[in-house]
Amino acid sequence: MNPAAPVTDTHASAAPTATRDDASESASTTAGTAATTLTVAASATMATAASSSPGTARETWRGELELGITAREGRSAATHQFHRGALRVLRPHYLDASGQVTYTMVNPGGAFLDGDRYRVAVTVEDHADLLLTTQSATKIYRTPVGRSTQEMTVRLGAGARLEYLPDQLIAYRDSRYRQHTLVDMDPSATLVLAEVVTPGWSPTGEPFRYDSVRLRTEVRMSGRPVALDNIRLEPSGDETGFGGVGSFEGFSHVGSLLVLDPRADDAALAAVRALLTERAGYLRGGASALAVPGFALRVLGDSTQEIDELILAAVAVVRKRFFGQEPVNLRKY
Amino acid sequence: MTGDAQDWAGSLLPLLQICDSALPTGAFAHTFGMETYLERGTVSDQASFQDWLERFLDHQLVYADGLAVRLTAELFAGTTANGASAGTAPSALAAADGAASPADPPAAPADATPDSDIDAGLVQLDALLFAQALPAQVRQAGLTMGRRLLEIGTLSLPGPGLERYARLVAEGTCHGHQAIVFALIGVDHGVPPAAVTQAFLFSTLTSLTQNAVRGIPIGQNAGQRTLGALRPRVAAAWERISTLDMSDLGVVSPGLEIAQMHHETQRARMFMS
Repeated sequence: MNPAAPVTDTHASAAPTATRDDASESASTTAGTAATTLTVAASATMATAASSSPGTARETWRGELELGITAREGRSAATHQFHRGALRVLRPHYLDASGQVTYTMVNPGGAFLDGDRYRVAVTVEDHADLLLTTQSATKIYRTPVGRSTQEMTVRLGAGARLEYLPDQLIAYRDSRYRQHTLVDMDPSATLVLAEVVTPGWSPTGEPFRYDSVRLRTEVRMSGRPVALDNIRLEPSGDETGFGGVGSFEGFSHVGSLLVLDPRADDAALAAVRALLTERAGYLRGGASALAVPGFALRVLGDSTQEIDELILAAVAVVRKRFFGQEPVNLRKY
Repeated sequence: MTGDAQDWAGSLLPLLQICDSALPTGAFAHTFGMETYLERGTVSDQASFQDWLERFLDHQLVYADGLAVRLTAELFAGTTANGASAGTAPSALAAADGAASPADPPAAPADATPDSDIDAGLVQLDALLFAQALPAQVRQAGLTMGRRLLEIGTLSLPGPGLERYARLVAEGTCHGHQAIVFALIGVDHGVPPAAVTQAFLFSTLTSLTQNAVRGIPIGQNAGQRTLGALRPRVAAAWERISTLDMSDLGVVSPGLEIAQMHHETQRARMFMS
C-alpha cells in the first residue's frame, strides 16, 4: 500500500458519507484536508488500487475524480462528488425514464502527457444506475521519459449498474500508457465496460506505431478475481507493426467490451455473436462467455465508428434483454 | 549446471515424465486457437505454423501459463532451498538457480514462506489464471488438463506442494490449473523455477507441434525442425518471464484471443480449442 495515497484515513469514515452535491465546484480549489473528508466512500478501494499499481514514492495526480451514486425512489443521483486537477464531470443528464443517471467526464487539459497520472473512483450503491462517458477522445501524447497512467476503481453494490462507455483512446507516436481498472462488484450487479484504442495518424496517413498501451481490468466478486482482461498493444516494438499474426493482423483499431450481469446467458452471447457475423466483412471479432454470468467481446477493425457501432449494438442487446431499455444515444453536449 | 548424478536424476526424471507428449492430460486435443488460423488459411505449412507458434509463445504463453509456473515455483523457493519441502534433496539444479522470490526474508530459515502465505499465494494465482482466460475453451483447457495432471501427479509423482494444491482443489478453493500443477511437481522434486518454467514452455510447444503435424498436416521432420528453431526462443522467453510481475499475468494480444474465441463457433473442428 502506498503511504502517500490521498485517502487512507479510516477515521474519516465516522463522518457522514453523503457529501455535498456542490463539492465539484468547491473542491477544485481545496487542498489536502478538505479532500480527505470528501473521499470517504471510496477509501477502501482506492487503497487497493494504489497497492496494485507500480508505485512511485510520492503520489501526485494530474487529475482526480470521485463519484458516488445513490438511488432514491427509483432515480439515481450523485451523493458524493469530488474532483481535483485536470478531471471533472459535466452536469448530469437523464437520457431516458429509467432513472439511470449519465455523467460525462471531461479532461480540460485535452490530452495525457508524459508522467501524467489520473485517478477515477466510482461507487454505485445498491440498486443505483450510472452511465459514465467522456466528452471527447482521450489523447495519449508522446512520453519520451515515462508514461501516462489512469487508475480507476469501481465498486458496485447489490443490483447496481455501471455502463462505462468512454470515447476512444488515441495513442500517438512514441506514447506509452497504462490503465489499471479494478472493479469490486456484488454478484447481482451489472458491469458494462467498453474500450476502443486507435493509433494517431501521421501527416502521410499512416497509423502511428505507438510504443505501448496496456489496459488491465480486474473484476472481483467478494474479493476474488472473476474476470481479468489484460491487453497489451505494442506496435512499435513489433517487427510486423500492425501486420503480425496474433496481434493486430493488419488492422489498426482494437475494441473491447466486458459485460457481467447475473442474467447473461447463451442467448445473449449468441445475439452478440450474430452482430459479429453481420460485420465479418470489415471487423474481425470474437466473443466468449466468462466464468461467471457475462461475456467478453474483442474486435479488430480499421475505424472507430465501425467498432463503436458494434460495441453500442452489443450494449443494446444487454439493455434490451435485461433492462427493457432502448439503445444508448450518446449525443455529446 | 554441475552436480552429482543422483541429484540430476531426482529432478530430471520427474521432469521428463511430465514433459512426455504421451502423458495422458489431453494436450493432443488443444491448439489454443491455431485451428482457427488453419481454417482461415493463415497457417498452412511449416513456415506459417512456426510463425504462429512463435507469436503464441511471445504474446500469450509467456504472460499466462509461463509466468504462472515461475510465480508458483517461487512461492516455494524459500522452503525448497532449506530442504523443508521436498522429499528429494535440494538438487544441484536448485543451487544453481539464482532467482529467489523477492519476498524471501533473507534470514528466516524455519519458515521462509509461512504455510498460510503459500496457500494464499496459490489461491490468488489459481483465481487470476482462471479469470484471465477470457476465451471459454482456453479456460476449460487449463482446467481439464490441470485436473488430469493433478491426478497423474498424485498417483505417480506425489509431494507436499502437490498435496497442498490437491487439498485446495478438493475444498473448492482452487480450480486446479495445469501450469500450477506442473510447477508444483517440479518444486516437489527440486527443480528450480528457471528449469521448470522452460520445461513447461517447451513441452507446450511440443504438444502444439505434434497437433500441427496431425492437423495441418506437416511432416514429422518439419515438426522437429520447428522445435529446433523454437528452442532458443524458449530461453529468451524465460529471460522475459523473469522480469515480469503479478500485474503482467494474463497479458494477451488481441488477434490470438479473438481466434481462440472464434474457435467456439467454427463449423468443422478437429480440436477442442
